[in-house]
Amino acid sequence: MKIAVPIKFVPDLVEELTIDPSGTALDTTWLRLIINELDDHAVEQAVLLKERGGGDVTVLAAEADGVDDFLFTAAAKGADRLIKLTGDFSTADNHALGRAFADVIKELQPDLILTGVQAHNDLDGSIGPLLAEYLGLPYVGYVAGITPGGDKVIARKEYAGGLVAEVEVKLPAVLGIQAAEQPPRYVAYSKIRQIMGTAKIEERPLGALESGGGVMIERMFQPEAAERATMLEGSPEDVADKLVGLFKELGTL
Amino acid sequence: MPIRETFWNIPHWAEIAQYIAALLTAILFIAGITRRVLRWRRGRPEKRSGHFWSRIGSLVTQVLGQKRTLDEKFPGIMHFSIFWGMLVLAAGTALATIDWDVTHLFFGFQILKGSVYVVFELMLDLLGLLVVLGLGMAIYRRYISRPARLQNFPVKKLAGDDTYVLVMLAFITLSGYLTEGLRLAVMRPDWAAWSPIGNAIASLFLSLGDPTNQTLHLVIWGLHIVTAFGVLISLPFTKLFHIFSVPLNIYFRSLEPAGALRAANMDGGMGVKEWTQFTWKQLLDFEACTRCGRCQDVCPAYASAQVLSPRNMMVKLDDHLWEKKPRALHGEVVLADELWACTTCRACVQVCPAFIDHVTTFVDLRRHLVDQGKMDQMLQDALSNLGRYGNSFGQSDRMRAKWTMGLQPPVKDARREEVEYLWFVGDYASYNATLTDVTRKTAEVFQKLGLNFGILYESERNSGNDVRRVGEEGLFEMLADKNSQVLSRCKFQTLITTDPHSYNTLKNEYPANGNGRYPVLHYSELLDQLIAAGKLKFSKKLGYKVTYHDPCYLGRYNGVYDAPRRVIEATGCELVEMPRHRERGFCCGAGGGRIWMEEKEVKERPSESRIREAVGLEGVQMFVVACPKDLTMFRDAVKTTGNEQRLEVKDLIDLVAEAL
Repeated sequence: MKIAVPIKFVPDLVEELTIDPSGTALDTTWLRLIINELDDHAVEQAVLLKERGGGDVTVLAAEADGVDDFLFTAAAKGADRLIKLTGDFSTADNHALGRAFADVIKELQPDLILTGVQAHNDLDGSIGPLLAEYLGLPYVGYVAGITPGGDKVIARKEYAGGLVAEVEVKLPAVLGIQAAEQPPRYVAYSKIRQIMGTAKIEERPLGALESGGGVMIERMFQPEAAERATMLEGSPEDVADKLVGLFKELGTL
Repeated sequence: MPIRETFWNIPHWAEIAQYIAALLTAILFIAGITRRVLRWRRGRPEKRSGHFWSRIGSLVTQVLGQKRTLDEKFPGIMHFSIFWGMLVLAAGTALATIDWDVTHLFFGFQILKGSVYVVFELMLDLLGLLVVLGLGMAIYRRYISRPARLQNFPVKKLAGDDTYVLVMLAFITLSGYLTEGLRLAVMRPDWAAWSPIGNAIASLFLSLGDPTNQTLHLVIWGLHIVTAFGVLISLPFTKLFHIFSVPLNIYFRSLEPAGALRAANMDGGMGVKEWTQFTWKQLLDFEACTRCGRCQDVCPAYASAQVLSPRNMMVKLDDHLWEKKPRALHGEVVLADELWACTTCRACVQVCPAFIDHVTTFVDLRRHLVDQGKMDQMLQDALSNLGRYGNSFGQSDRMRAKWTMGLQPPVKDARREEVEYLWFVGDYASYNATLTDVTRKTAEVFQKLGLNFGILYESERNSGNDVRRVGEEGLFEMLADKNSQVLSRCKFQTLITTDPHSYNTLKNEYPANGNGRYPVLHYSELLDQLIAAGKLKFSKKLGYKVTYHDPCYLGRYNGVYDAPRRVIEATGCELVEMPRHRERGFCCGAGGGRIWMEEKEVKERPSESRIREAVGLEGVQMFVVACPKDLTMFRDAVKTTGNEQRLEVKDLIDLVAEAL
């Protein structure tokens, strides 16, 4: 099975986040990027599938600080091909990133595309469904286990309240990974160093970014403390009267 | 004139048979030894030459002097008696052989005659008694008092091996005495009194009369000879082989600093996956183990959960070398849980009379687990954090010097200005919220003393000491490189630290990475030096009754025992030692990366055992430590053992600050 795993880097929340003077974006001076945790799970799941049933895993990433190290780590885990999209991604939203990935993935023609189901900086929707749309493929999100079977897979999709559904999906398809079947494995530094000598990162220069369909950020700000709630006291009748009065005051009644 | 009549009462054919048997024995003996040596040579190379005279010195004190063996009274005297008794008896036999087969045969004279002969007889007679005494003690110990450390071997057949050795040695000694007694009973020489034991035995047989005694003598002599040759032939195949392997192991012991771990094998993956990836010296270690169990007695992992016994590890590894159907080294012979249980406290290495280095072997085996990514989630997270942020807490490196906020004057940035003392603060002292008070107090003491010191701020990384002992060699190298690069750009005279773990690797392992040498001092050493130089004077005598816990990486690894004790005494405290102190100090359980791992079910945590030990000391109010990790470990243990009211855990700097 041919698997493609597009991943992205997100701001590391260990560092304090500040907003830049424009007021619409994070200040990148102190920003440090880290692999989106669920994308790390997607890579692990891809490697697990390869280990169980054979296959070929390609990891794709957009250029960012630390991406090379991550790609080499993925190779040490078992990824066969590493592709880095080069260019300026500093303003890329998920729509733009999704289109950029879709162009490369079309060419790769994978059977399965695994990506983290979400990231904490998904302002314009998560990347999986966008990719599926651009590629014209089915999508299942919140997947925490995959059983391959010929030209389809059974994906275990997690629902709130501890429910799990088994969804049969025809390949090729895009799956949004909630958790790999085992936590992402540790790769010893010596192994990463070794693979740096043998693995190659293919670089693909990026054309123009197309962020059409995404969102416009008007203002970015730290959470602001809202006003305190007013507690209505008294008998149920009194409280109901006060509520009706309030609704009238606010013009909703 | 008294003279040794060799082969008295022995028919000529028996004499010839004995020489043929001796020749065969020699051939089998050499073959057996060769078989072992060839096995060691299948290990990887390791340089253990050089320092010839200090190696010989070790042989004199540790083999002839039995120094470490004698550290424990009963087993020490037991072994000393058997060793020296058998050695002299063997030497006596050799001398008798030379006397008869060399000097008498070729030169027609004998050494063993006249007064030399009677003294010879007396010596052998008495030293035989020493063997009997030692064997008696051994039999009592193994079969009557039965200490736990001599029980439950993971390889069942070894109990038979232990018995075999005792039975054979006992038989040789007793049959030797009987042969002598019977000879004296028949010959009745004037000098019989010089063999008091033999003479006493002779008197028992006198009534039997001559032909009987002569026949008995011949039979017992035959059995004696057969047993002796049997023992020699079996020596390379049984526990007796330690006679050969232990002196070799002592001779080839590491003379490097204990705190400098050997770099990882990278050939065929990191660490040791199969036994042939051990070095020849490690294989010799396994074969030198006499399973005396002293290591097990002092092992904190064994005491707390009994998952790991260093004795069992050596026994299993040795057995593995000779398996007909080799099992998998990892998973079948040794288990991951055993390997992770080791705190690398080095107590086992310190007590081993055979000078086995268990810890190096455990680390080599752990290296393979790390290579395979096999570790618990907590450790994995810690290592990932160390790689990314340079600390195990997963906090931003920019927060490393947050503890200095508000200190006046501000702590100098050693990257920007020259300082006399560069303080390598370490992760725990920098990030652990409950420790930063003590770190600040340390800085304030340094400031009051007018020390010109600075820190590396966010450029400091975890020193890598425990990363290396976990088995993550590549990450250690990366951390060491980053620290070394920063250090090489700073101007300072002395590197200081409060953390014994950082101290160990900075002192013993960083210079090996090619970063120039600078003195490294633990703060206890620095304070001790300042006191000695009159630069640190106390205004108060505290008068507390305290005990002191030796950190493994300060004490056993680096031999720093006296400096902290002198500092404690200089503050006017009365120091009361715990039963386990100095070289025998008991580990807190956090070392070797244990502090980053999930805690498995335990009987009693090492730290709790330690606190109970301290509480047992009458009138002791304070438990003084000189290691940031110890503070967290023992503050917890004081709570979990319900001793908060009785014992206060204090850092050395607390006492110093109070007495200033």
